Amino acid sequence: MVSTIQNTDVKQKDADLAVVVAVTTRAVFESADDDGGDVYGVGVAFPLLQALHKVNERLLEESPAESLLFDVILITTDDEQQQQCSRITGSTRHYGLEVSRFCFSSQEDFTESLLKNNVQLFLTTDRNEALRASQNGVLSALLDQQLASCPSEQLRVMISGDAVLRPDTDPVPAGQKGAQSFSTQLGQMRQKFGIFNSPLSIVLVTLHGGRESCGDALRTLRSRGVSVDEAHCLAGAPRGPILSVLRSHFLLCDVVSCLEE
Amino acid sequence: MSEIKPSEVTTVDGGEEKDWAAAKAFFDNLKTNKPRPPKPRFAVTIAVSSRTLFNMVAERKIYEEEGVEKYVAHQVEHESEPLKPGAAFPFVQALMNVNSRLRELYPDSEELFDIVLMTNNHAQVGVRLINSINHYDLTIERFCMTGGKSPIGYLKAYMTNLYLSKDSEKVTEAIEEGIAAATMFMPETENELSDTQLRVAFDGDAVLFSDESEIIVKQHGLDTFFEHEKEFENKPLAQGPLKCFLEALGKLQRKFYAKNERLNCPIRTFLVTARSAASSGARVLKTLRSWGLEIDEALFLAGAPKGPLLQKIKPHIFFDDQMFHIEGAQELGTISAHVPYGIGQKYHRGKLIEQPAKKE
Repeated sequence: MVSTIQNTDVKQKDADLAVVVAVTTRAVFESADDDGGDVYGVGVAFPLLQALHKVNERLLEESPAESLLFDVILITTDDEQQQQCSRITGSTRHYGLEVSRFCFSSQEDFTESLLKNNVQLFLTTDRNEALRASQNGVLSALLDQQLASCPSEQLRVMISGDAVLRPDTDPVPAGQKGAQSFSTQLGQMRQKFGIFNSPLSIVLVTLHGGRESCGDALRTLRSRGVSVDEAHCLAGAPRGPILSVLRSHFLLCDVVSCLEE
Repeated sequence: MSEIKPSEVTTVDGGEEKDWAAAKAFFDNLKTNKPRPPKPRFAVTIAVSSRTLFNMVAERKIYEEEGVEKYVAHQVEHESEPLKPGAAFPFVQALMNVNSRLRELYPDSEELFDIVLMTNNHAQVGVRLINSINHYDLTIERFCMTGGKSPIGYLKAYMTNLYLSKDSEKVTEAIEEGIAAATMFMPETENELSDTQLRVAFDGDAVLFSDESEIIVKQHGLDTFFEHEKEFENKPLAQGPLKCFLEALGKLQRKFYAKNERLNCPIRTFLVTARSAASSGARVLKTLRSWGLEIDEALFLAGAPKGPLLQKIKPHIFFDDQMFHIEGAQELGTISAHVPYGIGQKYHRGKLIEQPAKKE
């Protein structure tokens, strides 16, 4: 059974205009060295939440009536977490996280919860959860352990250049609609800031293709209103060393195969 | 396995092989006959900045006088206009020529030059850079456009063998991190360069070798230097920042020798040193020998200016640690690259430079 609770400490966003991002509680809170206390330890997704908050802060600075903001919700995806209601809400308040809602769902119904809450991006450390959500039509991205050392002052989103489709591909496959509209919204947010000192950085990474692919991706994204900040073209070079310098929070990819890699 | 990379190479993991296979498939499927880039761990990786590859003097002026937003807007507005060649352009073309020759002789080898564009530029400027690369049909398939962030981490990630930039601060930082690097200077006139052979000229002290002997000259004078070099003739000098790059060139040269192409080798190296053959030259040659390195031509100038000789040699690039020699070379049409290493940086034309207060 799914239940949703509002976080009364945080001002609610405009449901229609905000960009709803759901993050699993397992990614946000550390339960490994659990001492059973009231408050959880800090999980890998902490810098990510802080970065999302930073973007909202800066957007509101530019325009106090701004409604294109990130609307962050925490979601439980298994029975065990689903039971930890007060501990989760308590920890959120303790750390002052800008979370507007909590969704308490289980393994069976978390995808239903995502759809009900109009989630535009689902972030989890669990590959199977990401695949399931993706198969149900919700754009998903996998968070990894590297996330813990990512910056908290700037949100760095990676877009895969190998998977960006040209505008003339018609019709747009269902799975890609989510990625395209999310990246368009990111593009709109990005435009509110100048070239330097932006709280949001959009990074294009082409892993397999060469400069032709990268050039195409840059132009295609531009045509969707997404102005990329950094571009890296690897053309088959080992991705590990480059990605660890890049330190992006997650990869936005148009195709499910990205999650399988 | 090749030892072209100076740094330790860890074992290959499955993920790396998958990426490589996917890229290989991608390039093999292209309709054009574009050669695919080599595997970085086996290649000699040369990273060039956008301002060394292309002439961006006018654009730089806009950046400095009108700010970054106007600069980016200008680049985007003109992105269909190819940029003009910069200081590193002939060098890059010469590298491409060596690659063609290597591919003819060794069609399955990954031991090639890998040219990476390493720039601080914003990705929107990247479209013009890509268009310009397309215009000249350069084989540059890898790049990092860092949007303002330092390239040093990426240089290391690519196991870069040589980094060329116009920004001396970045070059200094790279050298401090153990990466061969130099600041490029465009000559005032342009000598006609070979299009069949890559020609690279190196200064000796503080470039191929450490600055230990240079220190003796500056602090104790020439006579002490001569005595010292004679006394320690058989003790190899310590290595300098460009030694590993010479080594990488040597390994590629030997691939040509192995196929009986020594006389027709498309790589030729030169040592152009102020040392004199009689008094201090022996130590240099013995050091190279002890390292197992060959240099094709060693020119001992005994203090004579380097400019006129370089004009005859016509290298695609000339590395020196002293701006005095860089300027002399530039005046007579040689593309020069300054290596900001060692005691030579504290002197200009023989006099100790007053160190300005460090910029905050």
